Amino acid sequence: MKITKNVSTEDRKMLNSIFWRSFTVFASRAGATKAHAPGFMYSILPAIDRYYKDNDKAQADALTRHTTWYNITQNVGTFVMGLVASMEKKNSEDPNFDTESIVALKTSLMGPLSGIGDSIFWGVLRVIAAGIGISLASQGSIFGPILFLLIYNIPAILTRYYLTYMGFTLGDTFISDMYKSGSMQLLNKAASTLGLMMIGCMTATMVTFKSKLSIPITGGKPILIQTYLDQLWKGLVPLAVTLGCYWLLSKKVNVNWILLGVLVLAIVLGLVGFV
Amino acid sequence: MLKTAILAALSVFICFGGNWLWGQTMIERPLVVGLVTGLIFGDVRTGVMMGASLEAIFMGAVDIGGALSAEPVTATVLATTFAITLNVNQKAALAIAVPIGVFAAFISMFMKNVVMNLFAPIIDKLAAANNQKGLVWAHFGMWFLNYFVFSLVTFFSVLAGAKPVQHLVNSIPKNLMAGLSAAGGLLPAVGFAILMRMLWSKKLSPYYFLGFVLAAYMQLPSIAVAAIGIIIVVIQWQRDKQIMDLENKQNTQGTLATETNISTEDQEEEDFFS
Repeated sequence: MKITKNVSTEDRKMLNSIFWRSFTVFASRAGATKAHAPGFMYSILPAIDRYYKDNDKAQADALTRHTTWYNITQNVGTFVMGLVASMEKKNSEDPNFDTESIVALKTSLMGPLSGIGDSIFWGVLRVIAAGIGISLASQGSIFGPILFLLIYNIPAILTRYYLTYMGFTLGDTFISDMYKSGSMQLLNKAASTLGLMMIGCMTATMVTFKSKLSIPITGGKPILIQTYLDQLWKGLVPLAVTLGCYWLLSKKVNVNWILLGVLVLAIVLGLVGFV
Repeated sequence: MLKTAILAALSVFICFGGNWLWGQTMIERPLVVGLVTGLIFGDVRTGVMMGASLEAIFMGAVDIGGALSAEPVTATVLATTFAITLNVNQKAALAIAVPIGVFAAFISMFMKNVVMNLFAPIIDKLAAANNQKGLVWAHFGMWFLNYFVFSLVTFFSVLAGAKPVQHLVNSIPKNLMAGLSAAGGLLPAVGFAILMRMLWSKKLSPYYFLGFVLAAYMQLPSIAVAAIGIIIVVIQWQRDKQIMDLENKQNTQGTLATETNISTEDQEEEDFFS
């Protein structure tokens, strides 16, 4: 790809090193104030070592800068790492460089990048991969989990790799240009459309409910409640429960209460002989 | 039982710790955890099937923005362990897994936000002294500590819980069992609801129902629905791009028009909508 060829050999060596280290970015978590700062520092050490060679003071300053809170969807976070590397480079060359801009830019990118990263990787790619994986695995096939891992990881790792380079070469204007030109909104819309369709599909196939209740009729076959429910609208109960959970969530009800609520509801239905 | 407990704890450490040590590659998702636990206990089929059921339940259990939701790894390992080693009915094992997941989430939160806070000043000191070796050690040391403690939770749960759980499951009446099975069927709804919160908007909501109808009435497999979805997205993208380009063009022309003659702009707008 063109984007990795325009980079000098030493830069490429450094960026590859950042790419590999970035896999461990969320390994540690230094509490609520720093989150994944140690992982971020570990990932960009190659840049700090390179640009502040033999300057203990400058290296310590750079490290201290990056002890602040860090958290971005992993696979798009490498964009920030590449960008920070290029800014640290500028800082090492220009004595008047405003070092606060490095932290400011890094922090300001966390929200928008995680927003797009979470919805694409967590909301869509993982959901599609899991949907396909579950349908195979529920029959006991080992290809379920394997296919799940492949469908998710191949695009995820490629994104991680190319964004490391894009952060370094395209720099700070790239994301805001994406927003301004509107392609970010298009990307978001596409991701949400696909994600919602898959969730609808999975609501139909994976949320299951069957009532065994029957109404006896004198001189005829008993009426099964489930047949009526199915005639009314197929998957009526699963759809209603899913939309109900969504409604409760949007009313800011804690997830765990909803989980336990569904559990209790099902048990009560079982105890009264409805299911 | 000691051996079972150690193996279950190992399974948690491999999947949970491994996932976060190596790039969040999704080996902590129930689908994969079930496979790994099944391999460790020598019953891959049960493991994979348990993983599939739990994946559907915990699909939406994403730790976004620190929101507390049930923790899937411990739940999957314990449910699979009970199903394989104690021969507990799979559906009952599922229902047991959910409260365990909620409990484990509290421990996870406690480790992340309370215990790990102790390391924040250490990181500051190491950075100020440019002690890079120390930073690397702290980074991986924290990783080991966090997931080791987590594995201990599983270890003690299996050690202490196996007998009571087996006893409990044996004494479950038929109606309650039916309720637990129904719970296993309905719980994925919560996971999907969490995902919908991430993606839902009024304008796009018809696509949710389209996906539902395609699967419920047309009986299409999920790969087919995904393919149809991709086709729709491509068409949508092309049309939106066209509209966007037209709007951008119109805006630049529009500003020119207001400077010279306002009526031109109105005319253009009418042309555009006709």
